[in-house]
Amino acid sequence: MANKKIDWSPKNWPKLLFQLFTSFKLATVVLVFMTLITLYGTLAQVELGLFAAKKLYFHSFFVIHDFWGTIPMILPGGLLLMIVLFTNMVFGAIIKSRKRWRGAGLLISHTGMLMLLASGFVTWAFASDGYMALYPGMKSDRVESYRKWQFEIVPLKDDGSAENVWILPSDELSSIRPDEKRVYQTDALPFSIVINGFSINATPVPLSAPISASAKGKEIDGFKLVPQDPAKEAAANFPGCYVEFQPKEEGAKPIEAIISAYSAGFGPGEKPMPFQFEVGGQKYGALLAKKSWKVPFEVHLDEFIFDRHPGISMARGYESKVTRLEEGKPEKAIEIKMNEPMRYEGFTFFQESFGPAGSQPGDRMYSQFAVANNPADQWPLYSLIVTSCGLGIHFLTMLVQFIVRSRKKHAPAKS
Amino acid sequence: MKIRPFFLLPILLFTVGITSAREVPQANLESYQPWSENTVHSFENLLVQDGGRVKPIYSYARFTLLQFSGKSTARFASNDGEKHSLHYSEWLLDVLFRGDVAKELPIFVVDDSAVIVQIGVSPKSKRDRYSYSELAAGRAKLADLGAEYAEKQRKHQESEKDPQYELERVEGMILTLGRNISAFEYLLGQFSFARKGELLVNENILPPELLKLAATLDPIEMLDKMPEMTLGELVQVIRQPDTGDEDSRMFAGALRLFFFYANSARGLSLISPQDNEDETWISASDAMLNGLESKEIRPWATEQLKGLQSLIEASGEDEATFQKALTQFSDDQREKATPRGEGTRSHLEVQLYRGKYFMYALYAFVFAFVIMAFSWFSPGSKFGRIMLLIASLIALVGLLLDVYGITLRCIIRQRPPITNLYDTVLFITGTAVLLGLLIEYFTRLGVGTLIAIVAGVLGMFLSMKYEAKEATDTITQLVAVLDTNFWLATHVTIINIGYAAGLVATLIGMLYLAGRFFVTLAGKEAKDFFKVLTRINYGVICFCLFFSLIGTVLGGIWANYSWGRFWGWDPKENGALMICLWTLVILHGRMAGWIREIGVHMNAIVLGIIVTFSWWGVNNLGVGLHSYGFTEGVWGTLYASWVVLGVFLLMGVFSWIDERAKKSARREDSTPKEAEPTSD
Repeated sequence: MANKKIDWSPKNWPKLLFQLFTSFKLATVVLVFMTLITLYGTLAQVELGLFAAKKLYFHSFFVIHDFWGTIPMILPGGLLLMIVLFTNMVFGAIIKSRKRWRGAGLLISHTGMLMLLASGFVTWAFASDGYMALYPGMKSDRVESYRKWQFEIVPLKDDGSAENVWILPSDELSSIRPDEKRVYQTDALPFSIVINGFSINATPVPLSAPISASAKGKEIDGFKLVPQDPAKEAAANFPGCYVEFQPKEEGAKPIEAIISAYSAGFGPGEKPMPFQFEVGGQKYGALLAKKSWKVPFEVHLDEFIFDRHPGISMARGYESKVTRLEEGKPEKAIEIKMNEPMRYEGFTFFQESFGPAGSQPGDRMYSQFAVANNPADQWPLYSLIVTSCGLGIHFLTMLVQFIVRSRKKHAPAKS
Repeated sequence: MKIRPFFLLPILLFTVGITSAREVPQANLESYQPWSENTVHSFENLLVQDGGRVKPIYSYARFTLLQFSGKSTARFASNDGEKHSLHYSEWLLDVLFRGDVAKELPIFVVDDSAVIVQIGVSPKSKRDRYSYSELAAGRAKLADLGAEYAEKQRKHQESEKDPQYELERVEGMILTLGRNISAFEYLLGQFSFARKGELLVNENILPPELLKLAATLDPIEMLDKMPEMTLGELVQVIRQPDTGDEDSRMFAGALRLFFFYANSARGLSLISPQDNEDETWISASDAMLNGLESKEIRPWATEQLKGLQSLIEASGEDEATFQKALTQFSDDQREKATPRGEGTRSHLEVQLYRGKYFMYALYAFVFAFVIMAFSWFSPGSKFGRIMLLIASLIALVGLLLDVYGITLRCIIRQRPPITNLYDTVLFITGTAVLLGLLIEYFTRLGVGTLIAIVAGVLGMFLSMKYEAKEATDTITQLVAVLDTNFWLATHVTIINIGYAAGLVATLIGMLYLAGRFFVTLAGKEAKDFFKVLTRINYGVICFCLFFSLIGTVLGGIWANYSWGRFWGWDPKENGALMICLWTLVILHGRMAGWIREIGVHMNAIVLGIIVTFSWWGVNNLGVGLHSYGFTEGVWGTLYASWVVLGVFLLMGVFSWIDERAKKSARREDSTPKEAEPTSD
């Protein structure tokens, strides 16, 4: 049988593209690659940790994967695959498919899956997450990022209090390479800021420590900054950098410092200690702090209840009794438990964990809430309902057909 | 040529030979006097709090012996030549009330004699069981090595699995043996305070003057007369240097002995708390130390200790008296526990283990397999059909036994069927058997019954192996996030139905590929049969997709409620996603024309690899939020199963090549000779 000749002329390209994006073959290839990427991304978590593996394999367009640790190969990343799959489903399963009753189940289930992919995209693009930790009696409206750090310069008043913070945003800060030097100037400050030797995870060590001999950076006040391998848990990274504050006033000497998040205490209610210096008679503080943002209401932790199974250290449950405080609105008492979050004004507060680590019964403990703001929060639920209905209708139809056909086949043999 | 069942005979003889040839370890006992059935029965009903819940001592005994011995019976021969097989509750009775006998029972399994050599004891065979007395000579060395390896293990965990701190195989075994011996010593010494100087264990750590004092000192009486003292103060007085004053020396000695008794009595929480609000049961050790600390609770503590003492005293008398004392103690326990809602379902737990439902289910599946094998002698005949029907009914009995056991477990803990990895084995097995029997009901080909039986045998065998290997209570308390019957009943149950369907698809694939391979080798054809198998498997794969997809999305919704995100690329989530993706690959590949008959089954085998990885493998990666299902040594079994599945894939490749060759030959035969091949 002769092969059909394909018309490759440009005027036929839209048709060819439509054929490609509606084909089962493309769907099959994408699904195979998605399985592979999911497998490799899962295995990579052992070495890289979840955050790095997720970024490399699932939030990427392409990934270079070393097969058996030695043979590098380019694979499509999760993001690209999901975009292609979404397009394939829209064109193939929704637009091109024949609209008939027999195919209703498939049409519905594919619509559900499209909703799920769309919710994944909205979450990836627009959702934010952070945490709020409170000891009983404390209140806050500030949510901190798990992983993002920013550089802050704070003009200090005589009493040590601060206002008008100058911030180098976390995305800009994390884009500085360890071997790179960047200069920042602003009219708000009478000095320029030179950052170099930035490391996502670093420890300041005294020169007396043997490990300091191997560190390349400059010695400042008897300390060096020793870069560490990024932690597997991205939240366990403590960034650090060398900073030079260069006064704009001519002839003034620059001030050098090692700024490290490692020394900062970040328990609930604890404020990081800034590096203090003076330029033009004004005191300033410089520090690395976790990126934070406000929610439009305050949460007061009234009581934290931590319950263990009798006789063992395993947690049976933990819950926080909180009061939500909002200007112009009555106070509202709420319980936040495992599997029972508080949803309000687009923010969801989940009972995430507790601390400090190693607390014993009777110790003063803080409660930590994961705080998420996700416009697609409930979309997966809606998509599940749609998909289940679709698949249910389709497979039930198939099963009935199969049984009827089997019965028919057996019928003549019996007679 | 007719096949006769004689080939089964050598297998049977071999099995019998192996069983009878197994040597029973020798115990250094002149003879062994078994406990009466009534005594054992009274003992079984005692309550103990362990692992965060109140349970019958029956369960505690079962898992303790499994932990020490790898078996739930203690088998040995006494010097009079008689062989004995002790049930776990009989064994624990010996440990608690006839310590001298228990010390001689060979119950500590050692898989490698290198362990024994390292602690300076003469080994028996490469793998053997030893008694406490046999290991006593190496006790000090075992303690030293155990401490060293425990430290190494701690560093390994703290350093995020730095290979230099990874325990060698023998080191791990020494650590385990050391912990088992230590746990055994606590059981032996539980009631030392009530034995009037008869010390069964650790007597060598006491100086001669204290041993002498022990013969006359009654710690319960002593408790009554002592000043209030915290544990810290008690330790301080014991550590004080000798002042030379006889009275203070005597007092310090008595306190040392008291501390020794209290320390020996840790671990077995048989006493329900005085305060009804308090959920934590206490051991004799707690009663002694709490009584020492507060005169207020001293009368109550003394009463509890006397209750235990009465058991020890009765154990020295005739068995009827002892049994009566046990019953009395058990009644007292229940009188306090029942109003608190504790131990109310312990009789069901005893029934669960005594009933051995899962073991009998395994027997049923094996028996069904034998019956099914007879149907193959004359397939399609009346005899064959009857044999098949009987096999299906026996498999149904196996399924009912499994379901009954699962139901009992649900009632005991008031939870849906799956709360831990062990439960998944029971549930997935049951679901796979049910699926197989449903397939049989609809198709009447014998395939469904065979799948049900194979799934039943493998699953029940796995459940027993897993229970013996883990040797920990399988009715466990839940971590906080799992404390929700709604999500356990929906997400967990549904996703496991998906796993079961995936595994059934794999079994059908194996059957198809093996069948195709051997039929091809024999130069025969069975097209219709294979076509039906493909249709069945396609249906099962659809079923797998339905439940896996719904289960996975439900899991995401649960995660969104408890952790604040729908999807986190956690290994367990990814495992479930891979199952969904691969079933979709099969369905779309088939629509694309890339996957046909053999392809469906080969991909079903790949699906099986993914399901086993998702079920067992991801828990053992040691990362993610679901790593609580870690099982030691699971990778070896997984790799072995993947190699087996790989063999079936090779059979598939062979059949595929053969099919293509045949098709190409047919095409050539049907092509007119004058026709030229087209060129591009």
